[in-house]
Amino acid sequence: MDKTSGWQWEISAHRAWFRFNLREVFQYKDLVFRFVRRDIIASYQQTILGPIWVFLQPLFTTLVYFIIFHRVANISTDGIPALLFYLPGIIIWTFYADCITTTMNTFQNNAYIFNKVYFPRIIVPISSILFHSFRISIQLLLFLVVCSFYAWSGTTIHFSWQILLIPVIIGLTACFALGCGLIISVLTAKYRDLDNIMQFMLRLFMFAAPVVYPASLISGKYKFLFWLNPLTPVIEIFRSSFLNPTPFRCCIYYWECSQLLSS
Amino acid sequence: MAKKLIEAKNISKYYRLGVLGSRSLQEDLSNWWSGKSKQEELPDPESSRHIWALRDISFDVFQGEVLGLIGKNGAGKSTLLKIISRITLPTSGRIFGNGRIASLLEVGTGFHSELTGRENIYLNGHIMGMKKKEIDRKFDEIIEFSGVSRFLDTPIKRYSSGMYVRLAFAVAAHLDPEILVIDEVLAVGDVEFQQKCQAKIKSISKEEGKTILFVSHSIQTLRNVCDRALVLDKGKIIVSGETESVLTSYTKRNRDQFLGTDYTVQSNLPGNEYIRVKKVELVPDYINHEQVIDVRTGMTVLFEFIYKQEEPGDLMVNLQVFNNAGELIFELASKNYRFKNGVVKGESSIPGNFFNDGLYYISLAFVRNSTARLFYLDSCLSFDVEDYQDSDDLGGKWAGVVRPSFPIELNQEPDP
Repeated sequence: MDKTSGWQWEISAHRAWFRFNLREVFQYKDLVFRFVRRDIIASYQQTILGPIWVFLQPLFTTLVYFIIFHRVANISTDGIPALLFYLPGIIIWTFYADCITTTMNTFQNNAYIFNKVYFPRIIVPISSILFHSFRISIQLLLFLVVCSFYAWSGTTIHFSWQILLIPVIIGLTACFALGCGLIISVLTAKYRDLDNIMQFMLRLFMFAAPVVYPASLISGKYKFLFWLNPLTPVIEIFRSSFLNPTPFRCCIYYWECSQLLSS
Repeated sequence: MAKKLIEAKNISKYYRLGVLGSRSLQEDLSNWWSGKSKQEELPDPESSRHIWALRDISFDVFQGEVLGLIGKNGAGKSTLLKIISRITLPTSGRIFGNGRIASLLEVGTGFHSELTGRENIYLNGHIMGMKKKEIDRKFDEIIEFSGVSRFLDTPIKRYSSGMYVRLAFAVAAHLDPEILVIDEVLAVGDVEFQQKCQAKIKSISKEEGKTILFVSHSIQTLRNVCDRALVLDKGKIIVSGETESVLTSYTKRNRDQFLGTDYTVQSNLPGNEYIRVKKVELVPDYINHEQVIDVRTGMTVLFEFIYKQEEPGDLMVNLQVFNNAGELIFELASKNYRFKNGVVKGESSIPGNFFNDGLYYISLAFVRNSTARLFYLDSCLSFDVEDYQDSDDLGGKWAGVVRPSFPIELNQEPDP
């Protein structure tokens, strides 16, 4: 209160934990990049294949989905080659799930740091999302390689103008994951039950998004609900920008939605 | 008059005891349902479910001084440091301040065991609030101070604990804040490294004009390092002022409290259905006029208890002596005795020229048939051994856990 006396800072009883102070975060930008670097180095220490795992993880998952959902369950891929169909969905879904999981566990995984030193807490989730963004950009390169392989072997690939939207939709997905994760993180810090519930929910939520089936499979009265899922347009835009041009939709409300959550 | 850097006004902090979990969820929901916001839920000072870690603490810190905080475990020292470092918020009160604060509540915060020493210096430095340029500039100094330059590109999980701590402290010592907050971190490493750290702290404050808030259990360290000191007890400041006088009164308080207790004036004796302790006492065999226990002083421990046993069995009493760091210095065991129910008296003598200087605690354990512990009277006595050195000694802290005066004889061989 006493601003006339010329103190630079003040500590008092009432202040929000996650008070979002952009300037303060910017002052700590070195720390953000150092955390990203730490995660990158640490995740491939003592592995023989090292960074190649970034490619292998989505490829293996694709293989499993191909066998189970395509061959066994015989779910349509909208006439797209199966590999090309599953890969983008898996990449985006994994990105989203990883972002939300690390964000919501912010407090538990970093309690040992948070108990000992002060810095804006938002730095930790921001840096882990940057780390996952780094991974997804490498995985997208992999997808381009796979695409060009298919193009070379004769499959028609339509590169549409929507390809320019990819960085934007990935950014939006990250914002959305950050927003959800932050809300959940505050709750899991107190009620650990949510932790278990969320693991289950995430797994379930994957089937609510068109990861293993095309969006065209959903019709009738549930279609509206289906498109309310913020990940549906993301995955569909991504697919359509490479594969078959479908009309572009649902992006604007999505933007609003993620903004609302992250604020 | 030096500039005031921190002004703390009526800081209080309370914690809620008990299990956080289902109960609190239920309470939260019902509070939320009835529209009660958190601010309105005032802590009830009398309630057993709340504890005041700090109560109306006010103090000032001036530029360039080293302010020491001392107090027993649970006195609220660490809570106060956490509030100043912005890790936790006070329940009420305000702190105003000028200048950048860096807090060392632990060394090596955020060290990642898979990363190399070099990476960890940067990581830890950034966590502590240093900019990349600052670390680049001080990198060589940090390496030199830590003395681990050969292992710079080795993952720190392969470091010995000593190397780890040295590296961690080296980063911390090169932070460049206006105010440095330090909690007990000097209680690590070997004696030589501790002295290096103390010297570094002194030079940070005296030569660079930095302000330091320092918490320690070690009276000796505080005496070496601090200009001013505060004593905290049960969340309140009980003494503050110039270090020497504060420490003298602090040790005196402790001495008065612990050199013996006659429990019979209390309504209930400590103990259980088998053992009731009536009194414990430590009688020093003073050899100086000031009646102060120093390293030459011998002492006798006396105790008295009521023994009650349904079936006949052997009774043995163990006497344990701990130092200030909680390490067991030695343990004495009586023979096994077969007593009838009634009052038992015990006595044990500890010779002079045995303890090194420092604070010691004595605990008593009552053991049946050599195996079953009937009762444990924890830290029932405490005494502070003062240093004593002849004028021709070197001065400074005498190394070692104990300090016996066994003779060493030197003889020159006659020339052949």
